[in-house]
Amino acid sequence: MDLARLAREGDESAFEEIMRRYSRRVFHYASKFFRQRSLVEEAAQEVFLKAFTELGSFEGRGSMEGWLTRITTNTCLNMLRSSRRRPELTVSDLTDDETTWLDNNLAAAATERHQSTERSSAAADLAGRVLQTLTPDDRLVLTLIDGEDASVDEVVKMTGWSKSKVKVRAFRARRRMRESVEKLLQRKDKG
Amino acid sequence: MSDHIISLIENASLASLSPSDLTAIRRHTDDCVDCRRAFEAAQISMLLLRERAAEIFEPSPFFHTKVLAMLRERQTAAGQWAWSRVWRAAGALASSMVLTVAALAALTFIPGSQAISGPQELTSLNSYSAEEVLLDQGEALNGQVSEAQILTTLYGAEDEAAK
Repeated sequence: MDLARLAREGDESAFEEIMRRYSRRVFHYASKFFRQRSLVEEAAQEVFLKAFTELGSFEGRGSMEGWLTRITTNTCLNMLRSSRRRPELTVSDLTDDETTWLDNNLAAAATERHQSTERSSAAADLAGRVLQTLTPDDRLVLTLIDGEDASVDEVVKMTGWSKSKVKVRAFRARRRMRESVEKLLQRKDKG
Repeated sequence: MSDHIISLIENASLASLSPSDLTAIRRHTDDCVDCRRAFEAAQISMLLLRERAAEIFEPSPFFHTKVLAMLRERQTAAGQWAWSRVWRAAGALASSMVLTVAALAALTFIPGSQAISGPQELTSLNSYSAEEVLLDQGEALNGQVSEAQILTTLYGAEDEAAK
């Protein structure tokens, strides 16, 4: 709260300290929305510029981290909504690496041996592209709940949405993503 | 039963399913091809989301400097904008004051705008005096009437009356 008060009074070093403490968190959170580093950085910049101008609205009742997370959510969702591109993913879009990853993990799924191998950039690319077919709100909820095991309450805190909205979004997004992947697998088998 | 499996995999994250739920799913998917496909797609979805969640960007070492520079730039721009507004307002006020002063000066000093107080002033202001008109007419008569005659005609009676 002291840092926020000092920054509000125009102390630049106090605001710099706020950025030092929370920029990793803001980057981490913005990374859930965008796959390109440039977009994550653009969003993070906008978050801190907004935070500086809205410092007056931070009353110190909640945590600074929670307040910044809320600003990050709104900023990223606005950026995504303004781009509004949700192309349908087709098999022909898959790279060789992505197809190989799908084949390996399908085999693993069939035998219930879930692969927890080293990070695969092909999988991350494919995940990003499948998620792009969902709405920004659906994408966020699904990434948080299914991707990071966040609870519904945590998502409510981060987004400011109601509990029922988060639950409905998660249900719908899960169905859409599954159907999207199922279609992709079926087309891949046929192709 | 198919509906039951679908609702199980849609209501919650696969990671949060209980062992009994998983057993039920396994039993069902042994016989139901559609549900097996749906379950496999759900598993792939979960793996993809985990991969996506693991991808995190870190701020560059120059990030803070960059944001501070942008802040200063915005503040300067906002300051300039505020000053330009003040100057614009002051300019409008100054020009209206200059116009008022000019109008007042015009009313005070320009003769044409003065109040006319008497016949003498009227005569002096009039560029076509009686003498000029008559003298011009005299010239038009090609010297048939002299200037002295005209002046005598005009002022002779006055002079005699004065005597």
